[in-house]
Amino acid sequence: MKKSLLFASVLLVAAALSPGLAAASKKVRIAVLMYGNKAEFVQLMQRYGRQHPAVTSGLVDITFYDGRYDAAVQNDQAQLAINAKCDAVIVNPMDFEANIEVVKKANAAHIPVIVANARLNTAEMTSEVASDDVLGGYLEARNVLQKLACKGNVVIIEGPKGGSGEIQRGQGNMKAISECPAGAVRILERRTANWSRAEALDLMQNWLSKHRGTIDGVIAQNDEMALGAIEAIKSAGLNVNKFAIAGIDGVTDALYAVKRGEMTSILQDAKAQMQASIDVALRAVLGAGYKPMSPIWKQYESSLQWNDGQNKRYAIPWTVVTTTNADQLLESRK
Amino acid sequence: MRRETQPSGSGERKPTEMPASRRASYTMRDTAVFARRYGIVVVFVLLCLLVSAVCQYKVIRGEWPENAFTTADNFLLILYQVSINGILAIGMTIVIISGGIDLSVGSVLAFAGMLAASFATRSAAVTPWSGTYGIAIPVVSALLAGVACGAVNGWVVSRFRIQAFIVTLGMLLAARGFTMSLTGGNPISSLSPALRWFGTGRLFRVPVPIVILLIVFGCVWVLLNKTVFGRHVYAVGGNESSARTSGIKTNRVKIWVYISSGFLAGLAGIVLTAKTGSAQTNAGGSYELDAIAAAVIGGSSMKGGVGTVSGTLFGALIMGVMNNGLDILGVESFYQSIIKGVLIVAAVILDASRGREDD
Repeated sequence: MKKSLLFASVLLVAAALSPGLAAASKKVRIAVLMYGNKAEFVQLMQRYGRQHPAVTSGLVDITFYDGRYDAAVQNDQAQLAINAKCDAVIVNPMDFEANIEVVKKANAAHIPVIVANARLNTAEMTSEVASDDVLGGYLEARNVLQKLACKGNVVIIEGPKGGSGEIQRGQGNMKAISECPAGAVRILERRTANWSRAEALDLMQNWLSKHRGTIDGVIAQNDEMALGAIEAIKSAGLNVNKFAIAGIDGVTDALYAVKRGEMTSILQDAKAQMQASIDVALRAVLGAGYKPMSPIWKQYESSLQWNDGQNKRYAIPWTVVTTTNADQLLESRK
Repeated sequence: MRRETQPSGSGERKPTEMPASRRASYTMRDTAVFARRYGIVVVFVLLCLLVSAVCQYKVIRGEWPENAFTTADNFLLILYQVSINGILAIGMTIVIISGGIDLSVGSVLAFAGMLAASFATRSAAVTPWSGTYGIAIPVVSALLAGVACGAVNGWVVSRFRIQAFIVTLGMLLAARGFTMSLTGGNPISSLSPALRWFGTGRLFRVPVPIVILLIVFGCVWVLLNKTVFGRHVYAVGGNESSARTSGIKTNRVKIWVYISSGFLAGLAGIVLTAKTGSAQTNAGGSYELDAIAAAVIGGSSMKGGVGTVSGTLFGALIMGVMNNGLDILGVESFYQSIIKGVLIVAAVILDASRGREDD
């Protein structure tokens, strides 16, 4: 009993001192398991991860793994990172169910595991840092419907069927539509274009061919597909400004399209998701003395509380991108 | 034995003299010849009629104001949407006739498209060759990238006698890596109007991608049917060792076959980038499978020596009509996948029975 008390107090002292200790002696090693690296959004997450003050100051050694869009690969990479004695794991999971394995493995190895950007169907993780997709879907659909004054025909271009993004953003879309008077808004079509601009381009062209002159709004569950729809409208010789179009993510191309007045984008803050994840991971590794280093906590002061890094879930706020803040966002990406 | 040096399928097969003993089954064989020549066209027409009939039914029942499928604009749209797969599939046909396969076309397309885009952003220096109005550097670099990838494929396949499946699988991975390394995984957007013309422009009111597809079709048709090289491609694919003993430089033929496919993948990369207005690192993922499907539906045999470019064009058109028609009918995409899958296998079954008939 005494021994364990002594041991515990030593641990506590060590934990209290460890930020200084770690900086002086050993870097904290964080493994980040990304589901893939072929899209702008994941690239942005990686970039902002490397720009975290703890990384630039040398406190943290960060390693990114490319999951190659395969849940099984990600599970293997989790084992790899654990074997390489990393201190914490951040996972941006490919699959809602299959990647629960990552959390199990990290827990078995007694290292903190933070789920970033997407969600996992478990509560065993140290913490979750993500944006609420239902809210995102709601915001974009509401934006389209406001422009249409709750009256007209819309099409919904969905993410990959059965993925958490498609399901939750879809729920948000429907919530906004249900707030309009019953029957005022008709959903002419809803189909997946698998997050792809090229697929959405073909799909939207076919819809324009079918519903000649009757489509008023496009609710695309991500920006890439909204941009594909815009290209389709242009290639059909129609005026983009006559359509209400919205997407989610705030990718660079979409910001330019917002500036041209062609669409609205709901920014999913890659920087906040990544940097908050790193802060939460550091708090779990270094203990109660750790103060978050990322500027995002200051930026979202009113809507996102640090709570000593103990929250089970951090909901990173969405930002509606308009012509007024598009320039500022573009500038920050240079 | 199958005839080695002659293409079967639609269009180009020369009529053969019928031996007297076979006269009895003349009509049957006649039907077989007809099916072989025009089967693909018949399938295409039937498919169009089917989709059109279902649309018309909806109009009659008052669900739709008009038949959205059977309009001139919609057929132009189908051709426009088919253009990229069509260009790739025509390249794939040359490779398949030669007895090979090219799995790398989707990745090479992405690589070429990214290279073209990197020289054609609005912010690039404006010179006559690159930048906003110059188009030479972006286009030539993309085509050269395709040619280079194809040359490597062809050289390794012929020099080391490694199966094309494996060599081009390697290129599939490598070219994707090159693509990502060009920009560190980021897309390139804000492309110059000159480059975008290849995807969104019109020539005599016809969208440029369609014009490109038809030019490619014409050139490759001549190449395969009217040149010595074309005959050699069929010969190499039909029976490589006898082609070699009859004096054909089979290695050289193969290298040019893969160069053609790489070149067309580069061209398709330019068109796709211009069409979507953005070069993306994941562009063209699994496009090789669609290209193979179009070639196989169009009557190309994976055993080599058999296939026609007109068959492939109709193969691509059939896939295009399915995508467009099923979108218009509002059929979910997983059913589209099932139908496409069934069609490919059915085409091969048809192909296998043709083979037996020739024995």
